[in-house]
Amino acid sequence: MCMGIAMAWSELPAGLIERHALERRAHDRGGEREVRFLYRDRSPRLPIWRDGRLQIVRWGNRDGRSRFLPGTGWTWQATIEEGAWRNLDAQPVDIPANLALERGVWFRVTQGLRGLLVPDEHGAAVVYVICEPASHYYRVMTRSSRMPLLIEERI
Amino acid sequence: MIEYETAVGHLDADCFYVSAERVRDAFLRDKPVGVLGNQGACVIAKSYEMKAAGVATGVPIWEALVKCPDGIYVKRDFRWYEVLSRAMLELMRVVSPQVEYYSIDEFFFQASVPRGGSFQKLAESIRDLIWERVKVPVTVGIARTRTLAKLISDAAKPFGALAVLDREAETKLLADRPVTEITGIAGRRAKRLAVWNIATCLDLARADRRLVRSLLTASGETLWWELNGDPAQPIHTQRPAHKALSRGGSFGETTDDPTVLHAWLVRNLERLIEELEYHAVLAGRLTVWVSYKNGQVGVGQTSLTVPSDRFDMLLDAARPCLRNAWVPRVAATRMHLIAEHLTPRAEAPLGLFDRPDPRLETLARVKRAVNARHGRFVLRSAATLPLASIYKDVANGYDICDVRGKICF
Repeated sequence: MCMGIAMAWSELPAGLIERHALERRAHDRGGEREVRFLYRDRSPRLPIWRDGRLQIVRWGNRDGRSRFLPGTGWTWQATIEEGAWRNLDAQPVDIPANLALERGVWFRVTQGLRGLLVPDEHGAAVVYVICEPASHYYRVMTRSSRMPLLIEERI
Repeated sequence: MIEYETAVGHLDADCFYVSAERVRDAFLRDKPVGVLGNQGACVIAKSYEMKAAGVATGVPIWEALVKCPDGIYVKRDFRWYEVLSRAMLELMRVVSPQVEYYSIDEFFFQASVPRGGSFQKLAESIRDLIWERVKVPVTVGIARTRTLAKLISDAAKPFGALAVLDREAETKLLADRPVTEITGIAGRRAKRLAVWNIATCLDLARADRRLVRSLLTASGETLWWELNGDPAQPIHTQRPAHKALSRGGSFGETTDDPTVLHAWLVRNLERLIEELEYHAVLAGRLTVWVSYKNGQVGVGQTSLTVPSDRFDMLLDAARPCLRNAWVPRVAATRMHLIAEHLTPRAEAPLGLFDRPDPRLETLARVKRAVNARHGRFVLRSAATLPLASIYKDVANGYDICDVRGKICF
């Protein structure tokens, strides 16, 4: 499924860190600072590439702020292909990440995850992580039956 | 003419799989990293940072997570590790006239310096050369024998270089190392020695040779000679012929489904046949070994009337073995298929009733040709269909045992 991601501090623009108060999401791993974006955060957020710029947007609709978006943080790739998001002005986006988290396992991702960006009824951007059925390796490693769709990579 | 002094060297890559991952991924440097094997179930290599958190090699990932929650886990890639391993081997063959490819990350070699030269400097130069050219940190030990050289490189880790040829320094080193640090002494053998108050390497070196032989057989006596500075184990520049070939491993996810177990048997058999064909030998005996989650082990064994490497004949022999090794309704965790009594194909006897079958031999040839051209396992038995997800993962197409030419696993 993917319960969070981490990005190296050095890969995030200073202005973005300040604007979104990312300091409180900072952690140290092996002497290098990183920012963790976790679904369990009070206000879950994810970085996305949009129009060539890195932005921080809401991750899913767990808090029910939107009345018509699904109250989750993920969507199946098959659901997208079936056209379930067609009328919501949804667009695919890339979620940059150095690491992803699933059931306590931090695993390396080289570019990031695929996401689906949709506007809520107030026009605010909300991103969902796109999932696919877990590979055998991923299922053994994390005991999860769903895995995030990675950018040009499959584990 | 220059006169040379010779000794034995041992090169051991430091946390090799992790170091290999760091060669191509700088992000992983200085971080706690674990390489996962057994389809993602176990940590098969860890960085020193992860080791410091208490994670041992071979532990299940769920144990590792408790000890090192910030650890980063990566999937093993034996194709890449082999590339770096062979790059190191190539460099070692330039440095030394005799090199043994002991394992994917360890080499023994003849160390030579001009009379009066420094073995210490040689050890340092080899370590630095590998680092400069391959970017893998290694430790080099040089001593009078293989066993001493390995003990020295273990003591000098990580990124160390140490030559110990002086008797006094050798004695000190042996006194500081528990006897279990010698390859080949663990568990029961260590207990047998403990009864005689043999706890350190020096205790073993100073023990009566006949006592050591009676406790540890001839292989123990060889270690005794080696510890006392008499080379008793040669450097093998070529791998000696295999006495047995085997294929198998962990399932990752346990299974008690006989169809899935049969699929694993067929997968392991197809891999084993590749190996038999590569070494041009025929199997005279087959063993199927299955281990179960509750600790049980099942074994089935059969001798073939006529040694063979043919899929149909070996499968006919392996099926009853699996039936013997099968424990119904108990989840199995791993399987190994072992071929023994190997006969070189050229010397194989012909059976009276098992005539060559041109149709099946043509089929085997076509299978080999298709797989050689389009990828390993592209054409395989339909009995492996329950393992579609295993075949889909390219990482499963190449394992540590597929790295050929090394002496040890």
